[in-house]
Amino acid sequence: MAAILDHQEVGPRRPFLQRALDRLAPSKLMVPGFLLAWSLLVIVPLVVIVLFSFLQVRQFRVVYEPTLATWLSLIDSGRWMAVVRTLRIAITLTILEFLLAFPFALWLAKGCRSKTFKAAVITLLTIPFFLDAASRIIVWRSILGTNGAINTALVWLGVVDQPVEWLLYSEFAVHFGLLGTHFPTMVFPIFMSIALIDDDFIQASSDLGGSPAQTLFNVIVPLALPGIVAGVVFTLVPLMAAFVEPQLLGGGFVDLLGNSVNSALQQLKYPTAAALSTLVILLLGICLAALILVARRRTDIAAMFVAMRR
Amino acid sequence: MSTAAMETYSERTAAPPRARRRLGTSRHWTTLAKFAGGFAIVMIYIPLVWLAVMSFTANPLSGVPYPLTLQNYATLFADTRWRPPLNTSLLMSAGVALVCMVLSTLVGRALTRMPRPGASLLLVLMPLFVPGLTMGAALFIFLRTMLNLTLGLWSIFLAQLVWALPFCILLVLVVASRFDLRLLDAAEDLGASPWRRFWDIEMPILRPGILGSGIFGFLLSFNELPRSLFVRGIETTMPIYNWAMAASQQSQVPIIFSLTTILLAVTLPVMGAFFWVLFVKLDKN
Repeated sequence: MAAILDHQEVGPRRPFLQRALDRLAPSKLMVPGFLLAWSLLVIVPLVVIVLFSFLQVRQFRVVYEPTLATWLSLIDSGRWMAVVRTLRIAITLTILEFLLAFPFALWLAKGCRSKTFKAAVITLLTIPFFLDAASRIIVWRSILGTNGAINTALVWLGVVDQPVEWLLYSEFAVHFGLLGTHFPTMVFPIFMSIALIDDDFIQASSDLGGSPAQTLFNVIVPLALPGIVAGVVFTLVPLMAAFVEPQLLGGGFVDLLGNSVNSALQQLKYPTAAALSTLVILLLGICLAALILVARRRTDIAAMFVAMRR
Repeated sequence: MSTAAMETYSERTAAPPRARRRLGTSRHWTTLAKFAGGFAIVMIYIPLVWLAVMSFTANPLSGVPYPLTLQNYATLFADTRWRPPLNTSLLMSAGVALVCMVLSTLVGRALTRMPRPGASLLLVLMPLFVPGLTMGAALFIFLRTMLNLTLGLWSIFLAQLVWALPFCILLVLVVASRFDLRLLDAAEDLGASPWRRFWDIEMPILRPGILGSGIFGFLLSFNELPRSLFVRGIETTMPIYNWAMAASQQSQVPIIFSLTTILLAVTLPVMGAFFWVLFVKLDKN
């Protein structure tokens, strides 16, 4: 018996290359090895950037001496205004996106009967992930500008005498540009979590006399909560660091955290850039903690795959 | 249960069967939901349509699509400055796609074999939770300022890999998690070598996921801006070129319009077809 097993394991004289390939097959070191390299590439830079905000650069050399100078100058120079503005715009847009996305996701998951239509909408919402940001956003200039499409139409129709100035290079324009870009990240998680909800639960709720509103708030929202939290995180996180839209559509009036990081790096103020990025990471950490707290109670990651398979 | 509730309940059950009031089918809300989604989708696609229209006009940044001209395209083909960035991007994306295909296969199938993949998966997906700009700044400070390395194509490659790989691994995981591992045991019992088990049994099932991760990797890398912008050294990719031209208010803007229109004309049908097949197929399975 042992002899047969031996024979099977060694194999009857397979070529050297094949035997070498056999040894490469699922190795237990694969995942730990990859995760180590991955941490070096992802986690270490993030830790470094937090530590770096407590250092200073003198004559192009990093001085390894802990100091709060960067953080204090951040408060003195009024850069914290950018933080407040970023938070305000990011939260406003996240709420807007949620208001647009939740009813749509609910309808797409439970109301829409045509599978073709559903696939078409999902396709349309996936494509924007793969489009170049700068060229998409700059087009808004020719739509919103003082001699842009909207103003030309308004003046020609006689609605206004003078072109409307606040359409471009204002917070309005920045909101406008951000709205389209960040919609899919809100829809997808909510759509998936709602699609996961068993139709029977919803049926049971209405059979027991629940009004649509009661079904919505007592059945659907609690069950879709992980998706809602994920949608909020995936929308809020990139919004916190948006820099293309404010730069191209804000015309220098809308300085957000992302632009501050960008300009700080260009001015070689590395600790300042590090401190501003740390703020972003800090806010991200809070969001993630909330996500994990909520998600752990409700579901696990395995459920995400079930959702994807549908 | 209170008496009042009992009464309501019995009243409702006694009532003749009315039209099912289902969520998502009540009229006003449905209209509102469709309108909200339609509005957002229009907001995404208006710039693309307008971009294509304006690329045929004399002054793309004016709002009037008149007079129509092919001048921008003529200028584009006479100009050579956009070609090196495009070549860099194409090569870079092909490289990222290739590495993504290999790594996502190796890691994706290994993850599905782990008893508790939760924490590892979270680490793999970590870059999805970090804004691109923050990741770019972090990589720059780590590689350039801390380690004193000379940045260039290699650092752009790493930065794009950090962005693209999580998506690719997710895609392979979706396919791999549907794979019944007992098939491999069966093949082993029948005497198949590990390599044959992988190539003849696992590979045909994983192939759509691997192919998809190649396409995802290519597209994500081809359009990546915030990370590569910081770690580029002196190199320029297509999105960086577009960004520099758009942000500096140069006369190059008309060229970006026609160039992006050509790129969209090539990539949009490919993407549309790919995602269509992906979602329709996933739906059928």
